[in-house]
Amino acid sequence: MQIKGSVALITGGGNGIGEAVAKFFAKHGAKVAIVDMEQKNIDRVVKEIKDIGGEVIGIQANVTSEAETAKFIKATLEAFGKLNIAVSCAGIIRDGMMLSLDKETGKVSRKMGLDKWQPVIDVNLTGTFLTLRDAAEAMINGGWEGLLVPISSVNKVGQVGQINYSSAKVADALMPKIIIGEFLMRGIRNIRCVGIAPGYTATTMLTGMNQDVLKALLKDVHIGRLVEPDEVAALIGHCVENGAINATTLEITGGLCYPNGIAK
Amino acid sequence: MITVSERKTMKNIFYNDMEFTIVKTGSTWDITRKLPNGDFAVVGAGLFADLPDSDAEARALALIMTIFPVGIKIVGPDVAHPNRVGDLKIVGPDVTHPNFVYWEKDSTSFARETYLIKGTHYANQR
Repeated sequence: MQIKGSVALITGGGNGIGEAVAKFFAKHGAKVAIVDMEQKNIDRVVKEIKDIGGEVIGIQANVTSEAETAKFIKATLEAFGKLNIAVSCAGIIRDGMMLSLDKETGKVSRKMGLDKWQPVIDVNLTGTFLTLRDAAEAMINGGWEGLLVPISSVNKVGQVGQINYSSAKVADALMPKIIIGEFLMRGIRNIRCVGIAPGYTATTMLTGMNQDVLKALLKDVHIGRLVEPDEVAALIGHCVENGAINATTLEITGGLCYPNGIAK
Repeated sequence: MITVSERKTMKNIFYNDMEFTIVKTGSTWDITRKLPNGDFAVVGAGLFADLPDSDAEARALALIMTIFPVGIKIVGPDVAHPNRVGDLKIVGPDVTHPNFVYWEKDSTSFARETYLIKGTHYANQR
């Protein structure tokens, strides 16, 4: 499938990796629908894409809502008449330990509450499910060639302090195998599914953090720097145009290793 | 009522309590939305290439109505944070829920003068 002339929907397209993916597709001739929770971010990215001559719409929506998912799929079809690429970048973190112990007594003093668990599952897992489900529905009913892209994370391996996030991201990483297995059984051959699992990426979430902590993180990255959002976008672009990549989740980490040298 | 004022290749649309502009640039159309501070934000750009003007305008209006739907969001009870009166739990609306709308502050559906056309509210021209 060629990027040029295709229609791409990107959730979380108002900043970070999603913004880079949206701009990458627009620069390469795709029509782009940007979905985000923040209207100001949408307005900024849509204007920047318009300024480079791109074809674009922006839709404020909550990916955890079935009604709002239906809204942004419908808007994409109304604007561009078809849908070929759906990239589920919308994601949040609410880090914390499952249990915290009192240093003196050794007893549990605090538990991770549902206020930290549920939003992360809702956005990162349920939101991805709804986006890919409804995008696939449109692609199947429209008969268009398509690619579904759940965004996982290298922390799908299981990151301490991220039981909510890692649990959602490992599920996202598994989706391509389940979805393509289902499509094969149903005789649906026009849609592929490829997950992307970035490592530490130079989004504002990381570049704005304590620089000493950031330096410590980079010690474990073989290339010695953060992955750039544009590099993640380019990988997704390659997945669009290479029809053999399917039913898998690709990592792009710069060689992220455990401190003992074993690559994650 | 939707009011449309025509100026060659540009049209202003007042829909609900918002003002949109549809501009034809070459063979495509751009849609902008007027912000409270008077600036304009781009809703969509490069749309409906080579469509006849009337078709493009109809599709632009449909797109606006999809992206900015009229209506209120229903928010369920905040069962996690009941007010207690003795053993009695009093459950109010979940004002911390991301879908909660403060009617006069957040809602894009707060039209000053509205009436019903075929089941949909439209705002009068300002």
